[in-house]
Amino acid sequence: MKTCIVRRGLPRIDAVPKVTGEARYTVDLKMPGMLIGKILRSPHPHARIRSIDVSAARELEGVLAVITAEDVPGTLFAFMQVMADKHILCTDKVRYVGDEVAAVAAVDDDTAEKAIGLIEVDYELLPPVLSVEDALKPDAPLVHEDKDSNLGFEVERLFGDPDKALAEADYVVEGTYVTHDLAHTCLEVSNCVVKWDKKDRVTVWTNTQAPHTQRQEVARLLGIPRANVRVISSYMGGGFGSKLVTDMKAPIAAVLSRITGRPVRIVNTRSEEFTTAKTRYPYTIHLKTGANKDGRIVVRDMTVIGDNGAYHDKGPATINFSAMMFGTLYNVPNIRAVGKLIYTNRQMGTAFRGFGNPQMAFATESQLDELAEKMGMDPLELRLRNANHAMETTSCGAEVCGCAMTECMEIAAERIGWKQKRNGANGTVLRGVGLANMVHTGGGGRFYGYNSTEAFIKLSDDGTVTLITSALDMGQGAHTAMAQIAAEELGVRLSDVIVLSNDTDLTPYDLGAWGSRATFMNGNAVFEAAREARLALIEAAAEMLEVPAADILVEEGQISVKGSDEKHAIAEIVDHSVNEHGWTISGTGRFVDKLPEGYTIKSAFAKNIPCFSFGTQAVEVEIDAETGQVHVLKVIAAHETGTTINQVMAEGQIEGSVVQGIGFALMERLISEEGRIVNDRFLDYKIPNIGDIPEIEAVCVESEGTKGPLGAKGIGEPGLVPTAPAIANAIYDAIGVRFHELPITREEVVKALREKRE
Amino acid sequence: MKRELHLTVNGVSYHRLIDTHRTLLEVIRDEIGLTGTKNGCGQGECGACTVLLDGEPVNSCMVLAHEADGHDVVTIEGLADGAVLHPVQRAFVETGAIQCGFCTPGMVLSAKALLDRNPDPTRQEILDGLKGNLCRCTGYVKIIEAVQAASCLLDEEEAS
Amino acid sequence: MEAFDYMRPTSVVDACAALREAGGTARALAGGTDILVQMREGKLRPAALVSLRDVPGLRSVRRAQDGGLTIGAATRLIDIETSPDVLRDHAALAEAASWIGSVQVRDRATIGGNLCNAAPSADTAPILIAYGSSVTISDGRDERTLPLEDFFTGPGETVLEPGELLTAISVPPAPARSHAKYYKTFRSAMDCCTVGVAVLVVFAPDSRVVEDARVVLGAIAPTPIRAPRCEEMLRGKELDTALMASVGALAAEEARPIDDVRASAEYRRVLAEVLTKRALAAADSWLQKGAGA
Repeated sequence: MKTCIVRRGLPRIDAVPKVTGEARYTVDLKMPGMLIGKILRSPHPHARIRSIDVSAARELEGVLAVITAEDVPGTLFAFMQVMADKHILCTDKVRYVGDEVAAVAAVDDDTAEKAIGLIEVDYELLPPVLSVEDALKPDAPLVHEDKDSNLGFEVERLFGDPDKALAEADYVVEGTYVTHDLAHTCLEVSNCVVKWDKKDRVTVWTNTQAPHTQRQEVARLLGIPRANVRVISSYMGGGFGSKLVTDMKAPIAAVLSRITGRPVRIVNTRSEEFTTAKTRYPYTIHLKTGANKDGRIVVRDMTVIGDNGAYHDKGPATINFSAMMFGTLYNVPNIRAVGKLIYTNRQMGTAFRGFGNPQMAFATESQLDELAEKMGMDPLELRLRNANHAMETTSCGAEVCGCAMTECMEIAAERIGWKQKRNGANGTVLRGVGLANMVHTGGGGRFYGYNSTEAFIKLSDDGTVTLITSALDMGQGAHTAMAQIAAEELGVRLSDVIVLSNDTDLTPYDLGAWGSRATFMNGNAVFEAAREARLALIEAAAEMLEVPAADILVEEGQISVKGSDEKHAIAEIVDHSVNEHGWTISGTGRFVDKLPEGYTIKSAFAKNIPCFSFGTQAVEVEIDAETGQVHVLKVIAAHETGTTINQVMAEGQIEGSVVQGIGFALMERLISEEGRIVNDRFLDYKIPNIGDIPEIEAVCVESEGTKGPLGAKGIGEPGLVPTAPAIANAIYDAIGVRFHELPITREEVVKALREKRE
Repeated sequence: MKRELHLTVNGVSYHRLIDTHRTLLEVIRDEIGLTGTKNGCGQGECGACTVLLDGEPVNSCMVLAHEADGHDVVTIEGLADGAVLHPVQRAFVETGAIQCGFCTPGMVLSAKALLDRNPDPTRQEILDGLKGNLCRCTGYVKIIEAVQAASCLLDEEEAS
Repeated sequence: MEAFDYMRPTSVVDACAALREAGGTARALAGGTDILVQMREGKLRPAALVSLRDVPGLRSVRRAQDGGLTIGAATRLIDIETSPDVLRDHAALAEAASWIGSVQVRDRATIGGNLCNAAPSADTAPILIAYGSSVTISDGRDERTLPLEDFFTGPGETVLEPGELLTAISVPPAPARSHAKYYKTFRSAMDCCTVGVAVLVVFAPDSRVVEDARVVLGAIAPTPIRAPRCEEMLRGKELDTALMASVGALAAEEARPIDDVRASAEYRRVLAEVLTKRALAAADSWLQKGAGA
């Protein structure tokens, strides 16, 4: 088929509103009578609430409501309700610095702030558990006293016989790898406006990545029917996983709105965003890898200890997903993956671009280099020998469809100058190159037993194509990709397509923007809807023009007949259909991606993933041995895209991911003192700045055999998965120091170099 | 304490009674109602609130409104000439330098100010000129390309 | 941000009067880039801000016949970084100014603000001290002048009394055959400095012998500090690699750093050593290249 709209780097459909300041984000909304809500948060990591005195706050002029746990539904909540452990407002105990204790609604920001300061809470301080090690001690205080221990979740997956394989392998390497607390730092902080109206309907305007599941969660939290909740999102200033699970702002604002009868806005301060908007789960990973002399990896054995923070969120799913990717990256016959989530008195973890995979990849791909060294083999060669190939099924059940793993490795190695630069071939300058592989889902997961979505297209009598989709655009460009897929299949111009989305009253049920799923899932539904609409359009055109349907062509928004110069606007055809039959032309698309026959959510493991996306990054670094500064000079990021829907946007996803990966590897870390985060601002929580970025070459490697729309795969997350281990491997090449802990800061490099000299 | 404030924003003059502790950002967003200028951190560390004050980029969250009394402010809404985008805006659209768009208004204004001061910046000068604007989405690669492209577009415009 | 009184006097006399009237509870407002952040965080709660916006005479750089500079306290960093008068003999000051914050910050922030804020990491202080600068303080009636190194009394604290205003900074002419350099390190391309070191070396005529030197360390003690033992060690000696290393090691000893969120004390000592060495190496390299000729 001729592709005119996809593959090209067409400008995003929302570029002009964004570049002119016209785009309205949730935080830009204003409503008549709107009140400002603020939350009083715990200053202690672990304490019992003896009493709360809100009388002074209530008396302050301009304050319309002050609430505590007594005033809100007593629901216990978690993303997975069977694990529910968090109240909307703390009842008897606070469990981390930032826990919600009370809230106010006032006429303006200053008054709300003042009122918060007038609430007096009497706390009885309890000893906190601030690390996984402390939490696992036999006499550790319990974060949740109704539980037997601080172990929040445990899972084990076994394929083959890892113990036997480890005993028999020619080479075994073993190590412990540690990753850290990371903040998403979306430029638009988490915020909402909630109106509880007179018909008992709760409308939530918020920057969410998953409006439909947020709607269910808000209903669950408030104990009201789902039908009474409507969630509306708009332009959104970033997500990266932080805006998947409802946090307590929405239910708090809802209750404040019910009491006051007015819309209530709650906006995180930047400090609240750093301290309460949740983090990437810190992992401690104990890992063993075994290989034989022929270079085949025969066994991998991993235990992940994840720091859950004070409450459950996406932790269990994150641990499970890490294990799936652990099992899939290379086809290894013997695999064990053990995961544990430990409660601590810290900010909760949540989804964060890569969903456990970046942490895990740091361990596995660092260790692969250690293994290669032990074997006396080039790390690239070791990886090439163990590469996955298209249409294979791995021992853990992953059905690898299209696969460009070898090609990605070859491209990355070639373009970084692997042969010339490896092993200090650069002379006296402390430079090195390293690489790492990755695999990630390219289309979400069947984690609910299914993964599905729908889309609708209607053609208006003015020729406009309206696309109704639940694809959520948090900045990654999902709306543009959907419009391109619709335009391509329908045969219209990109500018003919209007995308309607983001309102749960309008859009079909959908699981949201996560797991690099929008292009694959929503794209498939949009493709089907466009196909149905195109067939209906052709049928109507054939009837109107009195020619066989097979002779009708739809291109660039015009209808023509084979062998004739005559052209008709789509509007004419739709008009004809309306006048002749009384209906316009439309299409419905549904994509249901179920687990294969015979599998359950529990047993499916890697069968959960409908499509895998492989990639390789190669990195060159230069190190200042005196200050320890690591300069990343160049990154080649070769990633599989199936069919690239939008070249420029796909590159943008990869480039943005790589830079987040550099932050993960070298710069970013939330620092706590006695449970309080002390670097709660951009000055001291360093995300990469424009001056920190290396030369980045993003390569979209196309591959065939994927069930995505037009053959596409998701590319939202893969780009940051291999960056940190590639950097760590390059550092090793440069200075011969192996880092097992992130971030690799200047201080750590200086310390390690000194130890090496001694 | 309120005090009389005179501001020209995007060529329109405003006279308001404004509390003395209000920032320029608050006045632009809440009083004048121009929400293209974003609040990213409120601490002068992210650049999302960048506006041009007498042609120079400043963090409007760190300027007291009354310190700008009598002066000229340009926000992102004032950059395009009606429906015709400013060359910097065009370059951002065409090179794909926009993702979530929240940093975009500030980034565009910083880029414009940089090109006003230095029409033909080197890569290093672009990095220096834009380092006050954080972006979490793009990885900056295409933003640098956009500024380079804008420099060419401005040259062309000058030549024609 | 909490409410406060706001005044906009039009002379130094009125500004000092306004500051004096409010006692210790008023602060002068120049660029606002430091003070407003601290106020928003609740670290500072002044009852009044006295704006220097309309006070004439505070926003200029003047170069005297002898090459010395007089810089008005409310001169913006962006104007210092681009001033031909500063760039002529005091390029290290222009460079130090250019490394502060972003363009947006330097378009507002002033040199006087950078000094009065008295952060141990203030970037203009070490290089100004290395140049031997002094400050002029007015109370509206009288003026007093003191060496900049005596201006700071602790983190966020200076000798300024209520009713006093820093009005000017005087930078002496750069001595013949002298080289000044400020180095700082940072965690990302925009950062306050983890450690800053300014070194001024005056070479004896026709030789590599150091006639005089000033070594100033920033972000490594409660205030920017001179490193007198380093200076002493340099004087009268030929600047070779061994001397650079010894002086660097001594700078690490003279530092009095603390652990904080930006770096450990131990690492700050490492940086003090490295940066001192590099600043000396820069002076040497300048000499080798013909001493700026």
